Amino acid sequence: MTPPASRSADWLAEAAAVFAKEWRCELRTRYALNTLGLFAFTTLVMVSAGLGPLGAARAVGTPVLPVLLWLILLFAAAAGLPRVFVQEEETHTAIALRLAATPSALFCGKLAYGATLMLALEALVAPLFLAMLQLDVAAPGLFAATLLAGGCGLAIASTLIAAMIAQARGRSTLFAVLAFPVTLPLLLLVVELTRNAVAGEPAGGALVQLLLYDATVAVASLMLFPVVWNP
Amino acid sequence: MPPTSLRFTSLRRRFGRLAVLQGVSGAVGEGGALLVTGPNGSGKSTLLRCLAGLLAPDAGTVELTEEGRLLDAAGRRRSVGYVAPDLAFYEELTAGENLAFFGRLRGAPPERGRELLGRLGLPAERLAGALSSGMRQRLRWVWALLHRPRLLLLDEPFQNLDAEGESAARDLLAAHRAGGGLAVVASPSPLELDGDAPRLALG
Amino acid sequence: MRNLLAALLWLWMCLVLVGAFFYAPPAEGFIGYSSRILFFHVPMAWTAFVAFLAAAVWSGLYLARRDPRHDRAAAAAVELGFVFCVLATLTGAMWARTMWREFWNWDPRQGAIVAVLIFYGAYLALRGAVEDGETRARLSAVYALLGLVVTPYFFWIVPRVFYSLHPDSVVNTRGTIDMESRMLQVLLASWVGFNALFFWLHDLHRRAGALRARREA
Repeated sequence: MTPPASRSADWLAEAAAVFAKEWRCELRTRYALNTLGLFAFTTLVMVSAGLGPLGAARAVGTPVLPVLLWLILLFAAAAGLPRVFVQEEETHTAIALRLAATPSALFCGKLAYGATLMLALEALVAPLFLAMLQLDVAAPGLFAATLLAGGCGLAIASTLIAAMIAQARGRSTLFAVLAFPVTLPLLLLVVELTRNAVAGEPAGGALVQLLLYDATVAVASLMLFPVVWNP
Repeated sequence: MPPTSLRFTSLRRRFGRLAVLQGVSGAVGEGGALLVTGPNGSGKSTLLRCLAGLLAPDAGTVELTEEGRLLDAAGRRRSVGYVAPDLAFYEELTAGENLAFFGRLRGAPPERGRELLGRLGLPAERLAGALSSGMRQRLRWVWALLHRPRLLLLDEPFQNLDAEGESAARDLLAAHRAGGGLAVVASPSPLELDGDAPRLALG
Repeated sequence: MRNLLAALLWLWMCLVLVGAFFYAPPAEGFIGYSSRILFFHVPMAWTAFVAFLAAAVWSGLYLARRDPRHDRAAAAAVELGFVFCVLATLTGAMWARTMWREFWNWDPRQGAIVAVLIFYGAYLALRGAVEDGETRARLSAVYALLGLVVTPYFFWIVPRVFYSLHPDSVVNTRGTIDMESRMLQVLLASWVGFNALFFWLHDLHRRAGALRARREA
């Protein structure tokens, strides 16, 4: 029997190996970065050009701009995050991974990759969004916290659902069908928080609720993932 | 009771309306091998997947005992060495990087992968996606033996291998069995194995 | 035995109907007799809740024991819960038309119940998208359990965004039951009746599923 200390070190090494593998493959093909970046940029240009300077000015203070920002991020996530498990099943590497990895470590490694990918995307999209729509954020700290907690929450829900749809038919549509109701509370909260941050209003309990949502979905996903992944 | 053994009883598995396994039983003892034969579609691969813990049987039990400890499905997945045509690796990584990744997952030292690569004559720096089908089969063998498994599940283990590759693979299998390891080998065509191996005919 | 229970259930529901229209008085502050829909709307919503909870319990049992019968029971509970949820939504919209002059005005309760409908609709879509029986049972059980974690947020977070005109819940915020006793009697009787109706339908649905599974085998 291995002592508990070395077992948790093994677990961490496994999760780190999965995380490093994901980024190494990603940086070689640049598939997710290119498609997500281009997708987000195209929709951003469309939103900005479609609203025009007058439309954008009139929408300040309403939930319209926060809704648009999070729609861009949500659809970019839906385009990129399911790949973390769909790719493994499609190229049959899932078999080797099933036999070699500890499920919880695998999930955490994949989640860390998804979350960093989401945050990288937000770091690219959010400043561009603010600049193109000439939007001033009164509370930048709250805005950053919302992006951080919202991006992580989207990554958590998407990672579990990606593992589920990878074993089903009609993957791309099924992801949207399954992920939408799960992420709905998160979307309502981040839209409200983004509006608060732009207007400089106090966040109330919304940030606490968002963190609580992230935490409960993360714990539930971690507990449910082994039965999703293995027969 | 030998310390390491595999026993499976009355395994059943259906896919939709198609009953693929209808009550299959068998056993392998230390150093032993079981040869599973049968035409295409007779359920050889399904049986091996059930044994590996990659597929849940509808009914029946699989008991893998290692050093007197009975393993559950999760333990079986971590423990077995599996070679099968549907086993694939990351095409954007080299053979060496693939083995380093799986070695870290399985806690195998990096030298083990290098040693096996050398014995099977595989170029470590070649991308897995650029390997020929014979080279891919060699990589499957290296991958399966990385963590020194006690049970090898081999589905058409010598397909696509040239004479040199097949003899290297047979040597590895013989060494595995000489060390007390178990093997279940599935093949559609009759296959000669060293030593006596009982046959299990499906279909 | 089953027939006797079904007959008793029929008699009970008839009594509830009579009670709802002739025994219980109309509530104050409601237009016309519109408050009487309460005796059907509220028990339907509660029964849908019981059905989804039962589906989660059966899903947990399936994951623990891997018995296909638990999977069929969970699926039947979600299908019936979905029907009860649709009926609760429709009766709510009918009542809203009378009281608020609109079938739909995105009251928080309406928003939350639509979110619940979408969630369990997604559960049914998932079942339709997986071919292998074992995989379907496993994945849908996970999704039903995920519902246990996510759906409470609908009721907690949606009211942040929309203001409510919905009447107080039966047990109000002061923790007291604020209702005329004859109304409460009929409401509870109706709730018992609808739950019994759910379990009776569930039994039928589950046995039909077992027959289908045996025919396929």
